[in-house]
Amino acid sequence: MAIDLLNVRFHYPQQPNHEVLNIPSWTVPVGEQVFIHGPSGGGKSTLLSVLSGLLIPDEGQVSIFGQRLDQMPNRRRNQFRANHIGYVFQQFNLIPYLNALDNIQLASRFAQRKKAPVLLGDIKKLLTDLNISASDWHRPARALSIGQQQRVAIARALINRPELLIADEPTSSLDPFNKEAFMALLMSMVSENGISLVFVSHDLSLSHYFDRVESLNVINRCGDSP
Amino acid sequence: MFAKLALQSLLDRKGSVVLSLMAMTVSIFVLLGVEYIRHQTKENFSNTVSGVDLVVGARTGSLNLLLYSIFRIGAPTNNISWETYEAIASNAKVKWAVPLSLGDSHKGFRVLGTTGDYFDYFSYANQQHLNFAKGQAFHQVFDVVLGAQVAKKLGYQLGDKLALAHGIAATSFSLHDDRPFTVVGILAPTGTPVDQTLHVSLQGLEAIHIDWQQGVKMPGSTITQAELEKAKLQPKSVTALILGLESKMATFRVQRAINQYKQEPLLAILPGVALSELWQMMGVIENTLLLVSALVFIAACLGVSAMLLSSIRERQHEIQLLRVIGAPAYFLFFLIELEALFIALLSCVLGAGLLSVCLVFLQNYLLGHFGLHIGSNFLTGNNLSLMLAVICASVLVAIIPALSGYRQARIVKR
Repeated sequence: MAIDLLNVRFHYPQQPNHEVLNIPSWTVPVGEQVFIHGPSGGGKSTLLSVLSGLLIPDEGQVSIFGQRLDQMPNRRRNQFRANHIGYVFQQFNLIPYLNALDNIQLASRFAQRKKAPVLLGDIKKLLTDLNISASDWHRPARALSIGQQQRVAIARALINRPELLIADEPTSSLDPFNKEAFMALLMSMVSENGISLVFVSHDLSLSHYFDRVESLNVINRCGDSP
Repeated sequence: MFAKLALQSLLDRKGSVVLSLMAMTVSIFVLLGVEYIRHQTKENFSNTVSGVDLVVGARTGSLNLLLYSIFRIGAPTNNISWETYEAIASNAKVKWAVPLSLGDSHKGFRVLGTTGDYFDYFSYANQQHLNFAKGQAFHQVFDVVLGAQVAKKLGYQLGDKLALAHGIAATSFSLHDDRPFTVVGILAPTGTPVDQTLHVSLQGLEAIHIDWQQGVKMPGSTITQAELEKAKLQPKSVTALILGLESKMATFRVQRAINQYKQEPLLAILPGVALSELWQMMGVIENTLLLVSALVFIAACLGVSAMLLSSIRERQHEIQLLRVIGAPAYFLFFLIELEALFIALLSCVLGAGLLSVCLVFLQNYLLGHFGLHIGSNFLTGNNLSLMLAVICASVLVAIIPALSGYRQARIVKR
């Protein structure tokens, strides 16, 4: 299994009486692409933070590719995240003052997967595959258009060859044309590399790209019993 | 890569970073400057005189006597008579006695009337005697020997003629221009007030004042050059004496004898003792200055920390992003520390640069007004360790924003 959640419960320490996550069981097989939709405030970001190991549930098991994130020490969890999980946000995906190449390189530094010269070749290939022209590689990220930034974000998320990609509303800031282009690119990159994808969005029109579509309300039982 | 990240991040916040950088630079400049000048002044003063066992002058404060006779700072209070000089010089315990006569100047440089013995006995630093870069000591009445700086600043060569001015102001209206002196010697640089002094014979000083009364040139003077040479130019008084003794053991006895001299109120001082009195007095000022500059520096450090602290709020997304791509929380701690370190290092370089530029310009002023010879190479052991301390201090103070960055990195946004 790529993701295996069992009896996961979570609440923020600041609000002890407000449970945010209550997931009896949820799994994603390796290589599957899942679309999750749901209203904002439904624990969406919290779930993604738990999946990426930024948050540890109060109870329950979080297994990613058979590794128990909830039992890992901090150091290994950071390493694991760098090596195995890619993440694309709605916005602020890049360090605004670094250029595309540096942004991607920075991500690879934390994973320490390959030596620099090999890596630069990988980065350039990725950027080319994602239709970022070479003239934009050296411009600071904030000088790029939103569409370009989101595509560079995919490259950044994929540079460490993660087995799992988490996308949190990555298309919300894009116009319809860029949205379609982005989705086409993302899906082809993901299926080419056999990456498991968890894609969260409130935009149901995107669901046709996915084999499996789920509602957050079904996964997370919190909303049911207030 | 991480250094690049820190640098780019600083560059991205140019405005606030440049301001904190300036504050740091100024504070480091002040700190280094105070420490360096403090050190140099001490060294300079201690180097100015050596081999002189006693300085004798009219009764006054010992510091005052030391300052006007050796350092050419301030004005002499009174003169001592020629008879007294002869009496002291003939004392069996006195090996040599050199009279000093002050009161005239040339373009802001003081003129010292003395005897040829001065060049043989006066020494500075580590018992170094005065050397002639060009020419020789004065032999004629209107011969003058220039200090190294005087010759360099005013561009005099051997054989040039110059007129002395009455009084010690930089611009004087009463010139002894009717009787010019001829440059016969130029001394090698010493780094002491000797470099700023013109040396003439006592007879020369007598000669230019021969038809003056009450400090004013009398009109209608008819004495010719030839008559002057013939006249007996016996000085009636001198400003001070420097003495060398046969034996150091006798110093205090001779000193007491001079202090109790019946015919005239005199004061004899040991230059070393007077110097240490000076340090005691200066010590308070020095320490105050150092304390103030240290406080200025701490204020600048806090300024940098405040700047970094407020930047953390703006950088929440950046911090979150770094965490997501696998950066451990403590990475943020070191990133902020690295930024503080860069600011401190750059400020050190800029502050040191500013100081060396200022020293180049200040050198002449300090030399001219205080007889201080300040070198421009201030990167000595003392100042290097001060810089190291400065860098350590700024890294320490940066712990505050760095911890805040660390805490921010541990908070996961909902």
